[in-house]
Amino acid sequence: MKFTQNSYMFDMILFELQDIAGKEHVSTRTSDKEVYSIDYFWISEMWHDRQAGRDIIRPMADFIVHPANAEEVSKVLKVANNYKIPVTTWGGGSGSQGGALPVFGGIILDTKRMDKIYKIDEKSMTVEVGTGIIHQTLEWELEQKGLSTMHDPASSRCATVGGFIAHRGTGVLSTKYGKIEDMIVNMEVVLPTGEIINTLPVPKTACGPDLNQIFIGSEGTLGVVTKVTLTIHRLPESRKFRAFIFKDLSTGLRVGQRLISENLQPSVIRLYSENETKEVIKKVLGIEKTGAYLVYGFDGKQEMVDLQMKYAKAIADEEEGEDLGTDLGAEWWKNRYKFFFPPYMFHLPQCFGTLDTVATFSNIENVYNAMKDVVETKYPMARFIGHFSHWFPWGAMLYARFIIETPPEDPHEALFLHNSIWNDALRAAMKAGGVLNEHHGIGLKLSRLTPELYGDAWKIVKKLKGALDPNSIMNPGKLGFGV
Amino acid sequence: MATLTQNNLDTLKACRYCPMCRQSCPSEFISYRESDAPRGRAILLHSVYQGGKEFDSSTVQAIYNCFLCGACKSWCSGQELGGYDIPELIKFARRDIVSQGLAPQAVKQMKDSLVANDNTANQDKKSSYTASVTEHTAETLYLLGEGVNYTNPEIAEAFIRILENCQIYYTLLKDEPTSGKELDLLGYREEAREKAKSMAGRIKATGCKTIVVSDPLVYDALKNDYPEWGISLKGEVLHVSEYLLKLVCSGKLKLKPTSDKVTLADSEFLGRNNGIYEAPREVIRASAGEHFAEMQWNHEYLQSAGEAAFTFDGILFDRGKELGRKISQKAEDIGAEIIVTLSATAKNNISATTGLKVMDIAEFAAIQMV
Ligand SMILES: Cc1cc2nc3c(=O)[nH]c(=O)nc-3n(C[C@H](O)[C@H](O)[C@H](O)COP(=O)(O)OP(=O)(O)OC[C@H]3O[C@@H](n4cnc5c(N)ncnc54)[C@H](O)[C@@H]3O)c2cc1C
Ligand code: SF4
Ligand code: SF4
Repeated sequence: MKFTQNSYMFDMILFELQDIAGKEHVSTRTSDKEVYSIDYFWISEMWHDRQAGRDIIRPMADFIVHPANAEEVSKVLKVANNYKIPVTTWGGGSGSQGGALPVFGGIILDTKRMDKIYKIDEKSMTVEVGTGIIHQTLEWELEQKGLSTMHDPASSRCATVGGFIAHRGTGVLSTKYGKIEDMIVNMEVVLPTGEIINTLPVPKTACGPDLNQIFIGSEGTLGVVTKVTLTIHRLPESRKFRAFIFKDLSTGLRVGQRLISENLQPSVIRLYSENETKEVIKKVLGIEKTGAYLVYGFDGKQEMVDLQMKYAKAIADEEEGEDLGTDLGAEWWKNRYKFFFPPYMFHLPQCFGTLDTVATFSNIENVYNAMKDVVETKYPMARFIGHFSHWFPWGAMLYARFIIETPPEDPHEALFLHNSIWNDALRAAMKAGGVLNEHHGIGLKLSRLTPELYGDAWKIVKKLKGALDPNSIMNPGKLGFGV
Repeated sequence: MATLTQNNLDTLKACRYCPMCRQSCPSEFISYRESDAPRGRAILLHSVYQGGKEFDSSTVQAIYNCFLCGACKSWCSGQELGGYDIPELIKFARRDIVSQGLAPQAVKQMKDSLVANDNTANQDKKSSYTASVTEHTAETLYLLGEGVNYTNPEIAEAFIRILENCQIYYTLLKDEPTSGKELDLLGYREEAREKAKSMAGRIKATGCKTIVVSDPLVYDALKNDYPEWGISLKGEVLHVSEYLLKLVCSGKLKLKPTSDKVTLADSEFLGRNNGIYEAPREVIRASAGEHFAEMQWNHEYLQSAGEAAFTFDGILFDRGKELGRKISQKAEDIGAEIIVTLSATAKNNISATTGLKVMDIAEFAAIQMV
């Protein structure tokens, strides 16, 4: 920002923000600036980890504002436009792409105060909520009434509903219930210039373009989603799982594809590559096996689930899977979040990244092989593992990861290595029919590669950005947009 | 600057970039700020202990905004392997802050008051319940703790009614002193130990064999801190709920049935630090039977009432109602008519937010006593 903290213009702007949100809801404290300079992006963590004795700094916000509702958000954005101050929306800060980092300073707009549950409509099976609600909080309230969004991500306990919308998030039940973008009925959005708009009351219309789709996945660059109506479901009478080991990944992929194309409607299919089977499954579930671990699950009425389980098992048997039974399947379900807690989760000093991508069934194995090849060949110090956890009628999502145990100590070199692997792996993925990302978003991490992914179509996205955000204040530096 | 112990370092390293327990943190719930979440605190402390930064005043504030409730520990799935302990890390940092002379003004005032007056809020000792009692030797000693002694004497009166009804010869400590717990939690260990030693001396002088405690903080001090500091007590230490259960089981205390739906607000210091979950439930069930009902959050997943919320943002903590409402809402959700509490703090914070009856376990038992 062009005004330094010791100038009276800084205080003048601070006063305007305090007038909007209330004094206690605007912070300029050093402690807040420090904490809001790190999300789940490896580089922001590494830069913090390596600060001792080095002259390195992280970009910090000037103001952290906690608005209560769309009206306050609107006023904050108008102030930001007046003074051309960058605004970065922050939900839970659990994004892995650096999306919520205030890389050009300015205002952090923390949405967590907008956490009301406005209405649970058990007739329409929808829930209307403020987007700053931590997703798990919403789930627990619904659960008391025997309901659920069926969005079940590992970060449910730390991410906001708005963050999931902004990054097109997904959960373990996505194969049956869809990603967050499939659960949206309508939204309230504050445009970058401060107007508060609502998308149409229902999403399936023949009234022209679906405005929801402009804002879903826009990562705070085209506005702030302040309220959303989501679909909900009754908690199923029965939920069953079964785990298998298949001889290799190809067989596992074929089983997954058959479970989908033979219309069995699983809610979960999770297939681990041979090396992830060895590493992660052993660490968390304590079983030692070679091959590819696959767990599937069904939910719904008991008798229907039993029938689905029967047909699914027939497919697995035909493909000569080693049946690990329902207990190990259920054990996986019970422990599904555990992988993400320390010490199970990868952590510094390791260098790691989740290279999630998606492709058609025809391409997905090639995408996996292409990424694996390039990472293992060019970066012998890196391990490459992967699993397939979200399945669509036409293809599957690959959740690949690279891990380097001892990356360079120098932060600049570590950053260079990290970015090089991302560039090489994702270029290989794109060449083989994959995309940059499936559910974590683009953020700062992949911003540079986005125009490359879109090709000539990028012009459309740029024009949209220019039209909605003429002063380019919204989350600069992210999603392929510069300043 | 003090050097971190290995356990504290492990916690720091695990928690600094991990947001996974934030939904449980009552201080973040109050302020919505990332610096008031477990991850935020670990990031700030990492900058100090591993990053070469000094404590700045806003970091100090964030460290004193922690309620030491342990919710983060309960919700941590890595706990079984890691043993990550944010409350311990925070207590360590507070001691360091104090030793560097950086404690906030409100904390210093509280410490001065505890040292001089044996209470956190500069209250005249004469205004306490125990100012007018006569102390003598007895097999049973009842310790109230600051909340009951100064603000909620009705809890003491209820428990004493039960003791008298059961013909138990007991004593109280005249001008009951502080256990030292609050001082320790604020970062003043030396002063806390001095108070602990003097409390132990007073306890010894009563010749008691059983020490019954109302306040979860005092209970925690006697059970855990005193042995750790080499201060031994002769008597058995029991929380009021444990003692009531003994009375019920021995047949000395008979409770009449109630058809009111009763629920229990677990205590963070009794539950998470000492595993006391079942005794109060059994006492309630002895009267309410099947009318006892659990709230959505119970046992180690309890919602914190702010038992150790002393200061927040540099001033005395005054937002207990926001914590209390979270609990009373859950009680209303299940159609409870009575919320039984285990600390004066919980009683006050919850009762301010609901029309339901809110009473301490001693009051519940006294009302139901035959
Ligand atoms: C341990 C762990 C496990 C994870 N597992 C999953 C998983 O299973 N599935 C999954 O999808 N993701 C997962 N993630 C990633 C992360 O939780 C998601 O990307 C999530 O969507 C981020 O939400 P947030 O509220 O933390 O957003 P932030 O990180 O705060 O922000 C992310 C982006 O969204 C923008 N934004 C936030 N709120 C709004 C809003 N209201 N309007 C407009 N823009 C907004 C921000 O500007 C930023 O660009 C995981 C993360 C962690 C730490
Ligand atoms: S206590 Fe556990 S869940 Fe909480 S921040 Fe630390 S490691 Fe993460
Ligand atoms: S002890 Fe309680 S208040 Fe402190 S960080 Fe943990 S959950 Fe938050």
